[in-house]
Amino acid sequence: MNIELTDVTRTFGRNRAVDGVTLEVGPGVFGLLGPNGAGKTSLLRMLATVLPPSSGTVRLLGRDPAGAAAKTEIRRRLGYLPQNLGYYPSFTVAEFVEYFALLKEMPSGQVPKAVAAAIERVDLGSKARSRLRTLSGGMLRRVGIAQAIVNDPELLLFDEPTAGLDPEQRVGFRALMRDLGQQATVVVSTHLVEDVGAACSEVALMADGRVVFRGAPEELTAQGAGHEVGDSPLERGYSAVLAASRKRVAA
Amino acid sequence: MNDRDDVDLSRVWVNVAAEVWRRQPGRLERATARLLRSPGLARALLTTPSLLLPWLIASAVVLAVGALTQVSAGQPLVWLLAPAVATVGIAYCYGPGLDPAWELSCTMPVSDRLVLLTRAVAVFAVNAALGLIASAATLGTHASTGTAQLTFGWLLPMTAACALALAVAVGVRSPFVGAGAGVGAWVVLVLGYGADHGPTAAGNRLSAAALAPVVADANLYLPCLVVAACCAVIALFAVRRPQRGLL
Amino acid sequence: MDDDELIACLAGGDDTALRELFSRHAPWLAARLRKALPSDDVEDVLQETFLAVWRSAKSYRPQGAAGAWLWVIARNQAALLLRRRGPAALALLDEGPLADDPAEVAAARADLAVAAAAALGPPGCPDREVWRLLYEEDRPVAEVAELMGVPEGTVKSRAHRARRLLRAALGGAP
Repeated sequence: MNIELTDVTRTFGRNRAVDGVTLEVGPGVFGLLGPNGAGKTSLLRMLATVLPPSSGTVRLLGRDPAGAAAKTEIRRRLGYLPQNLGYYPSFTVAEFVEYFALLKEMPSGQVPKAVAAAIERVDLGSKARSRLRTLSGGMLRRVGIAQAIVNDPELLLFDEPTAGLDPEQRVGFRALMRDLGQQATVVVSTHLVEDVGAACSEVALMADGRVVFRGAPEELTAQGAGHEVGDSPLERGYSAVLAASRKRVAA
Repeated sequence: MNDRDDVDLSRVWVNVAAEVWRRQPGRLERATARLLRSPGLARALLTTPSLLLPWLIASAVVLAVGALTQVSAGQPLVWLLAPAVATVGIAYCYGPGLDPAWELSCTMPVSDRLVLLTRAVAVFAVNAALGLIASAATLGTHASTGTAQLTFGWLLPMTAACALALAVAVGVRSPFVGAGAGVGAWVVLVLGYGADHGPTAAGNRLSAAALAPVVADANLYLPCLVVAACCAVIALFAVRRPQRGLL
Repeated sequence: MDDDELIACLAGGDDTALRELFSRHAPWLAARLRKALPSDDVEDVLQETFLAVWRSAKSYRPQGAAGAWLWVIARNQAALLLRRRGPAALALLDEGPLADDPAEVAAARADLAVAAAAALGPPGCPDREVWRLLYEEDRPVAEVAELMGVPEGTVKSRAHRARRLLRAALGGAP
């Protein structure tokens, strides 16, 4: 198990962003669905060791990130793509990926090959020495993916990774996710339901800080039987579960 | 020779690309990496100039103008300007002010606290050096402005103002507010001192020459040091505080 | 863009041109090398070949024969690889599929001779003499030492230096 969360809560002032989440995730692609404000980003930030939990226990890659040494060790084996990744306009693609490879404390000898492999894997080989300011939004997103995978991480966290990618690139991205999920735990947080259906072996649906559904995409689809809102079976399942959870909260 | 093992051309290309795309770190970076025992930290530190280029140019220009004015017009300005430019630079060392990819940097094994500390120290050192050069250039040109205390005395209040700026920037999570706090505190100190100790023989109360003795007053040294130390500690602890939902 | 133009761009530092050249030529180079070498060695040779191309593109004279030029570099890199394995492996160069016709072998040898002349100095200078006696005339070390009037150790160290200079001239790693 690469991720073990037990009754994890995260509050900001009076706002409970994450409310009593218990989750165990092993290798494979794990989708995190939910509307904006459901707490997905806060949960992802806790998994990325940026935020500590307000209560509950977190174990990543078998260790507790509360300790400084454990946190550093986890971060070396972690890859993270935040929703808003800034970039350094004057850096080239290779320089940017290399910068984060160095910050991830990769052994210097391995860095050039790892950088080249990551860049080729996201299909940016022809742009390796182009400056970031000359790239389109979709290409920049791919640069972000490249820095996340450069250290061959065991835990990969993607926050809205397909934002800005055209449909063809999204297909390529999903194939990459499936590939990465062979060895690592890949958590993809998205509000695009079709991203989840195509790539994920398991899905969790979050609403108001809680996990209201956990299972395979087919099971989520099954929840949508008879529900009218949604253009695809998976979308219908998604809105059915959300509607049910809101009814529970209101009741 | 069995034909089962096929030649993996993509692996060959990756190996070729690794050499072709490779960046050779310069001598300074290699030395810094050895000194700091971390290639990542060295690179983070040495990318600071490109991120802070506008500040660097502004500092150099401001201090050069100050030195020239001091030499030609006899108005000591370096002591007044050096701490001001330094506080702005230091405040902007704090994450979001400097680093567009800051949220990502917070997830790195190379601690962002360490990066902030090394950057702040480097910015301070550069500003101190620029200020000292500007001061030294004006040494001995005018009897009233060439004293040692005027030439070096501003270093201590500069340390205090910079530490304050950093602490506020980190605490409030805004480099802009931090810079404002640091510069504001410095202005208040200078004007307050001038108000307290009355006009000097140099004439107009608000002239730079009249206010200059603030850096020469030994009574201020200890308070400056204390403020600097407290603020530095506050800054380093506050950096660890978790952020609110959306940055 | 044809090959000559690609190599010209390459010489100017354009890495995307190298990428294009690789995708065009690596497959057939790999197939040809594979007839004589195991796939691991083919990968190493191809890697060194294209790195050599990257480094020595400036010395290419556009004649529309980019393929032949690439093949010569690939063979030389294969030779360097085999030479490290010992003289027996070197036989592959002259008898195996790496030498498909005598004219090409002669051309390759001529290329090598030209490169030797450039890298090692004029005829008669010690490095050149050692190279000529040891590798072109295939004499044993003892005989070369006697002919040149120097100890065997000196012959060996000169040979080592000559190989290093030649390798650098052929675009391999120094």
